[in-house]
Amino acid sequence: MMQFLTSSFQSLATQTGPTFWLPEAVSNFAPTVDGDFYFVYWVSIFFLVLITALLILFMWKYSAPEGQKATSQNDHNLVLEIAWTGIPVILSLMMFWYGYKGYVAMATPPANAMVITAEAAKWSWNFSYPASGTVVSGASEDFNEIRNALRSGELTAEQAAEREAKVLEKAGLHVPVNTPVQVNVLAADVLHSLFIPAFRVKKDCVPGRIGQLWFEATEPGVYSLYCSEYCGQGHSAMHSKVVVHPSQEDFDKWLAVAASYDETLPFTELGEIVWKRKGCVSCHSLDGAMKTGPTWKGLFGSERKYTENGTLGSAIADESYIEESIRYPMKKISDGYTGQMPVVKLTDKEILWVTEFIKSLRQ
Amino acid sequence: MKPDDKASAGSDLSSQEVEQTSQETKISGPSYLTVTNTLTSWMFTLDHKRIGLMYLVGVLSMFLLGGVFALLVRTELFSPIPLITPLFAGDDAGAQADLYNQWFTTHGAIMVFLVIIPGVPAALGNFVLPLLLGAKDVAFPRLNLGSFYLWMCGAAFFVYVLFSGGVDTGWTFYTPYSTSSPTAVIPAVVGVFILGFSSIFTGLNFIVTIHKMRPKGMTWFNMPLFLWATYSTAVIQVLATPVLGITLLLLILERTLGIGIFDPQNGGDPVLYQHFFWFYSHPAVYIMIIPAMGVISEIIAVHSHKRIFGYRYIAYSSVAIAIFSFIVWGHHMFTSGQSTMMNIIFSGITFSVGIPSAIKVFNWIATMYKGSINLNTSMLYGISFIFLFTIGGLTGLFLGVLSIDTHLHDTYFVVAHFHYVMMGSALIAFVGGLHHWWPKMTGRMFNEFWGRIACTLVFIGFNLTFIPQFVMGSLGMPRRYYSYEDKFQIYHQLSTIGSYVMAVGFFLTAFYLIQSLVSGKKAPMNPWGGNSLEWHTPSPPPLENFHGVPSATDPYELDQFDYDPVTGNYSSQSSKGLA
Repeated sequence: MMQFLTSSFQSLATQTGPTFWLPEAVSNFAPTVDGDFYFVYWVSIFFLVLITALLILFMWKYSAPEGQKATSQNDHNLVLEIAWTGIPVILSLMMFWYGYKGYVAMATPPANAMVITAEAAKWSWNFSYPASGTVVSGASEDFNEIRNALRSGELTAEQAAEREAKVLEKAGLHVPVNTPVQVNVLAADVLHSLFIPAFRVKKDCVPGRIGQLWFEATEPGVYSLYCSEYCGQGHSAMHSKVVVHPSQEDFDKWLAVAASYDETLPFTELGEIVWKRKGCVSCHSLDGAMKTGPTWKGLFGSERKYTENGTLGSAIADESYIEESIRYPMKKISDGYTGQMPVVKLTDKEILWVTEFIKSLRQ
Repeated sequence: MKPDDKASAGSDLSSQEVEQTSQETKISGPSYLTVTNTLTSWMFTLDHKRIGLMYLVGVLSMFLLGGVFALLVRTELFSPIPLITPLFAGDDAGAQADLYNQWFTTHGAIMVFLVIIPGVPAALGNFVLPLLLGAKDVAFPRLNLGSFYLWMCGAAFFVYVLFSGGVDTGWTFYTPYSTSSPTAVIPAVVGVFILGFSSIFTGLNFIVTIHKMRPKGMTWFNMPLFLWATYSTAVIQVLATPVLGITLLLLILERTLGIGIFDPQNGGDPVLYQHFFWFYSHPAVYIMIIPAMGVISEIIAVHSHKRIFGYRYIAYSSVAIAIFSFIVWGHHMFTSGQSTMMNIIFSGITFSVGIPSAIKVFNWIATMYKGSINLNTSMLYGISFIFLFTIGGLTGLFLGVLSIDTHLHDTYFVVAHFHYVMMGSALIAFVGGLHHWWPKMTGRMFNEFWGRIACTLVFIGFNLTFIPQFVMGSLGMPRRYYSYEDKFQIYHQLSTIGSYVMAVGFFLTAFYLIQSLVSGKKAPMNPWGGNSLEWHTPSPPPLENFHGVPSATDPYELDQFDYDPVTGNYSSQSSKGLA
């Protein structure tokens, strides 16, 4: 009977598009989770309807003006007590069992899974593909910009979609369809949580620990990815996209492009790409606004006051100062900041480009 | 609707201004409200009724404050783009988001620590508990006053936090965000720490009072169920709250000295903080809901004029919930990275808490069967509670199921679920209990017509606020979001409208309750026909609670009374406990 129930509730959830209650169902776990959801849902609906019907019936049938006596003072019935203890016990055990089975599958990634690392930081994502050593950004900033431009009418829906597609060429969490993917989750600063509603997976990113989740995407497309553990100011802006490629070849092609820089571009433009791709964008503004880190506007060539090992110092922000700040971010902490910058591993070229980019922001 | 017609016919009678002529009140002398009248007589009072009343004023003021923040949050979320935060925070997008984060944190912290936890036990419980026992006061009146001043002190810290830049960690103070947030975390945490002691002392007081001060003839199994509930709650308060205190102290030390227990930068573990925090804060959920269940047991029985169904099952289920509440904390952490084995164990135990809750609901409904139900304001709140608590409980099942919780964790589904339990249940029961005991506390009747209208508004508004949150949550809307995807906007808008409807209901309630103090009809001794001891003394009671020493009644022997439509009083020849 359990088997029958499981399959009949799962069949309620075979649809892949969003339903009234649940988002698109496009991973190997979605049918199980949705089946469990609808099992609990219909049990709940049954009891809610039963209880509500009884409440309304009794309110209607037994309501009486002040002073009227109740027609019964019966206060116990052992059979009823056993029934309404026993039935919930049985139903609860079934729910626990389904949840347990579904969860154990989720907690056990297959050995042949492709491994991607997702690193969360205030307030950006970086996804790295160990097989090729490529790090791509979650591009939260770009998605927010596009969203805002769409809302203010600067972009039409098509233009926005186009720009999103353009961003996704070099950003986002990309996976091939029908391939087990294990995502190791890390956090650089505070708690975050990787949440992909369409896959029904979620895992907290805990600093100092490596968490993991896995899934097998079943439908090519683009899906939302959120941070679901509160992490401060940019929490709700810390979203990105998951792209499910229709084939392994397609995915490989994307990865090759994402890993490359178009080195024909001027250094300053390449530097701007690094600024976005490596997540500098979330803490360093270009317009003078004070964020978690100093703005890059007018930074180059300016005199920097800092604390090093508890003593104050100052220096002119030249090439070597910038390189040092990138490689050893906690060495010299700029005055007025708390020193929250993680070590972002940049290649020599990337450091060069970023430095040129910062130079270009001189006033 | 038929039942309403019947009920309002009853209220027409009671709305006539009738002088109270019953024998009892003539001989009663001054009440606890009028016996002395100086400021110091209130400030240094050892009378549990005055202390309860002062708590009530404090809790309701904080409810207003927390409610204002809820409305700010809901208003902001009407649109995914900044709506009202720019009015307060200027043009800087970061400052706007920070402000929003402070709003929801302040709302949560005030409602949990200053309103719901002390609401039923400290405000209503203080007033009612000794009366239910036929006692003159609680066991330790001075400690009781001390608890109140600790509460005031904790509240003062919160007010200070509001004026010193707020706090933005969420009410859970999760590390390492709380150890690195530049906001006023330490004052807020100190406030909660102090409130914890207020709660511990109240719990201790109630345990001793119930053990030592029951009147002659009152065994454990003919105590009113409210006392079982308060007792179970007090046990949790005394055993669990110290853990919160230690946790918060460690958090302060982590922030100030960097001791390295919770902050991974110093070798600490943020998940350990979550274990410590929820080891208290899960039982705290039951500190909030068990006394509410106790109130509902009284309301449903008295206003149905029928013996409570399954007394022992309700009593034992309170104790069972109190015990189970200590061993389910891990279900707040299913996605935190705690081990798979731990998740499975906690999921299994979590379902055990559902069973006693279900037992209570069915017994309350069975109590209504063949009763004589007055659909007055208190009863409407009681029935609202059963409905809302059912939804709160059933949606908890989704979250207990490991596979589903992985999807729903930290979404609006969770937000809606705990609001159904914390607000739809605990707070609604508090408001219901406030109406139930209002005549006893103040000596005045409130306007039943407006009471019912307000209750209906609150009920509709509440559901409109939180049902859309279930839907958007299961669709994937994460909680604590300042901005969101456009596809969620319709749910947010419905929710915001619902919160306004609810606000109207609560303002209306405040209005007619204050009006009743000024010009309400004088309350008779026993306006609802209850038989627990508080209904056997004048409304409001004299300073010493009873003229003479009352002896125990059977609190659920409710069919012995005759209603006098002139005085609005239920009286009985055989009723015991009178001087």
